[in-house]
Amino acid sequence: MRVIVAGVGYRNLRDHSVGVVVADRLLDRSWLGDVVVEDLSYNPIAVMQRLEDEPPERRFTRAVVVAAVERGNRPPGAVRAYRWDGVLPNDEEIQRAVAEAVTGVIALDNTLVVTRHFGGLPDEVVVIEVEPGVQEFGEDFSEPVAKVIEQVCDLAVAMATDAAAAARLPSTGLGGALPSVAGNRLG
Amino acid sequence: MCFKNLPIEFDAEGKPFLRAGVADPYGPSTATPRGAPAQLTAERIEDLLKRNGYIKDLDFDPVTRVAGALAFHTVADFKGRKVLEARSMATLFRGYEVIMIGRDPRDAIFITSRACGVCGGVHSVTSAMAIEMAIGCVPPPLGILIRNIALALEFLYDHPLHLHLLAGPDYSAAMVGPTNPSLLARARSAQAPHAEIHGFRTIGDLMEDLNPLTGKLYLEALHMTRVAREAYVLICGKYPHPQTIVPGGMSSTITLSVMNEMFTRLAQFFDYSKKLAAIWDDLTEFFYEANPAYKQVGARRANLIDTGIFDHHEAYDASYAGATAWGERRWATPGVIMDGQLVTTDLHALNIGVEEFVEHSYYEEWSGNGQRQHFPTDPVGNPLSPYHPWNKVTKPRPQGQNWKEKYTWDTAPRWDRQSMEAGAYARLWNTAVAQKLPANPFIEATGTSLKLRLPKGALPELELEWKVPAVWNAFERNRARAYCTGFTALVAMNNWLAAMDRLKLGDTKTSTPFEIPKRGEQRGVGFWGAGRGYLTHHLTLDRGAVANYQILTPSTWNASPTDRWQQPGPYEEAVLNTPLLEETEDPAKFKGIDILRAIRSFDPCMPCTTHIHSDAGVITREVNTCACGVDDDGG
Repeated sequence: MRVIVAGVGYRNLRDHSVGVVVADRLLDRSWLGDVVVEDLSYNPIAVMQRLEDEPPERRFTRAVVVAAVERGNRPPGAVRAYRWDGVLPNDEEIQRAVAEAVTGVIALDNTLVVTRHFGGLPDEVVVIEVEPGVQEFGEDFSEPVAKVIEQVCDLAVAMATDAAAAARLPSTGLGGALPSVAGNRLG
Repeated sequence: MCFKNLPIEFDAEGKPFLRAGVADPYGPSTATPRGAPAQLTAERIEDLLKRNGYIKDLDFDPVTRVAGALAFHTVADFKGRKVLEARSMATLFRGYEVIMIGRDPRDAIFITSRACGVCGGVHSVTSAMAIEMAIGCVPPPLGILIRNIALALEFLYDHPLHLHLLAGPDYSAAMVGPTNPSLLARARSAQAPHAEIHGFRTIGDLMEDLNPLTGKLYLEALHMTRVAREAYVLICGKYPHPQTIVPGGMSSTITLSVMNEMFTRLAQFFDYSKKLAAIWDDLTEFFYEANPAYKQVGARRANLIDTGIFDHHEAYDASYAGATAWGERRWATPGVIMDGQLVTTDLHALNIGVEEFVEHSYYEEWSGNGQRQHFPTDPVGNPLSPYHPWNKVTKPRPQGQNWKEKYTWDTAPRWDRQSMEAGAYARLWNTAVAQKLPANPFIEATGTSLKLRLPKGALPELELEWKVPAVWNAFERNRARAYCTGFTALVAMNNWLAAMDRLKLGDTKTSTPFEIPKRGEQRGVGFWGAGRGYLTHHLTLDRGAVANYQILTPSTWNASPTDRWQQPGPYEEAVLNTPLLEETEDPAKFKGIDILRAIRSFDPCMPCTTHIHSDAGVITREVNTCACGVDDDGG
């Protein structure tokens, strides 16, 4: 079992930096299992190529991906964790994701769609989303997001190290169109 | 005499001056562009729409497979199979110019890089050059050489990306099948003339492998972007936003080991360039032969502008006064092509002819109303327009969309009041015709063509020849971009060899120390280029801080709206000239493939065009002006 905990987001973009900050905070942590922490906040095609670089016997079996994503249907600071069902959109949408990837858009959905389509992404993907409140330059989080950031880190650790806990999450499409996870409603 | 509209003449020494006796030399009625096509008036279009059922609105919002937020409005005559109105809309405001005000100029290298997710490095270099000019800092030869190689590698990422990920699918079996089934059937039995180079027996085979997501050419392009990125990060640290570009050169440590690792990647582009040229030659000729009307897809006047790029390491002195001389020694010659003829290669003439207009853009005028023109001349006394970037002030003013008034966040840059086009192809055209290329073993400018001698790889050594085209259209843009990949790889090779010579001499210096002056006013301009062509950053410093910063990108030129003289921007003009060759009679099933081919052939990059910022903060993806419902309420 080899797990990658990945942050996706933008640096210095306040709440939209959640993924990057979580990756930074977990980077030096000592792990019991074979866990790798990386900031995957770059062109999803390059992310796919980086994941595919792992030799077959070292391929990741689970990815825990953390990001701030503005879904607009939940309050700022809301945390949603789910197992992505891996269902891809139609080819036209995938093409659009590729075009956005190679032209510089860094976003959770794009990263997951592109890496799933071309390979590289493990079968088991746990997504931890945080609803951002603000989108502007800066290093600090808004209050609702600042309140949950430690707990998001703890949740990422739990999902990386506890296979049974990860397996109990609901399996959904992107965005986790389900109520927030019972017991993991943070903040 | 390169100016036909602006009242600028040249004395016996070639120094430009304003013609005497012209009361308002830059007034709109003083210099009206002659011979340019004009859009139909909004009233005329409304009338045609009301009276003819076969004339319909056809909107593309967003235009997909382009970088950033572009929408396009057309009115199409489905009976006459032509486009009557074309409006290009940049639907996102960014405003890097506004962000830069009051900052330390060194921030510009890192901030303006974020203008583009494809080619941030071009903005970094252009801003570094603007600073170098403002403060008088000249990079050492190795710094210039490595900067050239870095940016060539960026273009080697960019060109394959555009050719086979963005534009390529328009020529794939998956697209041609539904829109032009008889053409695809013909392609399946058409032998590909260059099969021995690219490996595809028929044009149909080639079209199959241009299919998005699954085609071998699509997947190969994804791979080649990686090869270019890997080479780039060896000297720039990261992609697409480099960390090693500084005023006065590069902060990278260059060793033989770095050079060799870079070369193993660069060399892969020699064979790939041969394939790209062969593929786009075969595709282009097939379409022309199948239906000569394809020569009209994306056609427009050959009015091209390019700043030139890739400085000669023994010529560049970072001065404005010397720009004419060092510009003409570049590996890609600066220049203006007007109606297919080269009219200047002088960076001074190029610079003073540039103006930006905002009549149809969401900005306020900065000129007139008694406001002072900050710089009446350039640093060597040549006349400047109040609409020149050194005089421009960015004053965003969001409002409703209305074709008669304002409909885009892009501005309307003009040179000598003419709508000009930027692109990798302008780089080739100027260089081929000007014949000022430095002596070298790989590239030869013949006056009508560029000969590219690509070294042996898995494929044998091959001489490619890009010829100045007789027609200027979507196909020729793509073909030229394919050849430009080889040109770029060979420029990198020349600079790589020169850099190796410097290293052998023990010269490892890549940058010159500098200080930002804390007193007085200075100005500079970076004349550089993006993968898509022309790029300038005009900078004014006041007591060590940025007082004004103006970015003019290739897509600002190409996506520009109709101007005050009703002269359409390049996308608009190209679409107005595009025949609708799709084989469907039912407008409801119409995909607009020919229009999209026309637009995509320019390799649009909208993030650069509108350079993401609002008063409320940074916008990363939001499109804040929708093209739907335009004119519904007239405002």
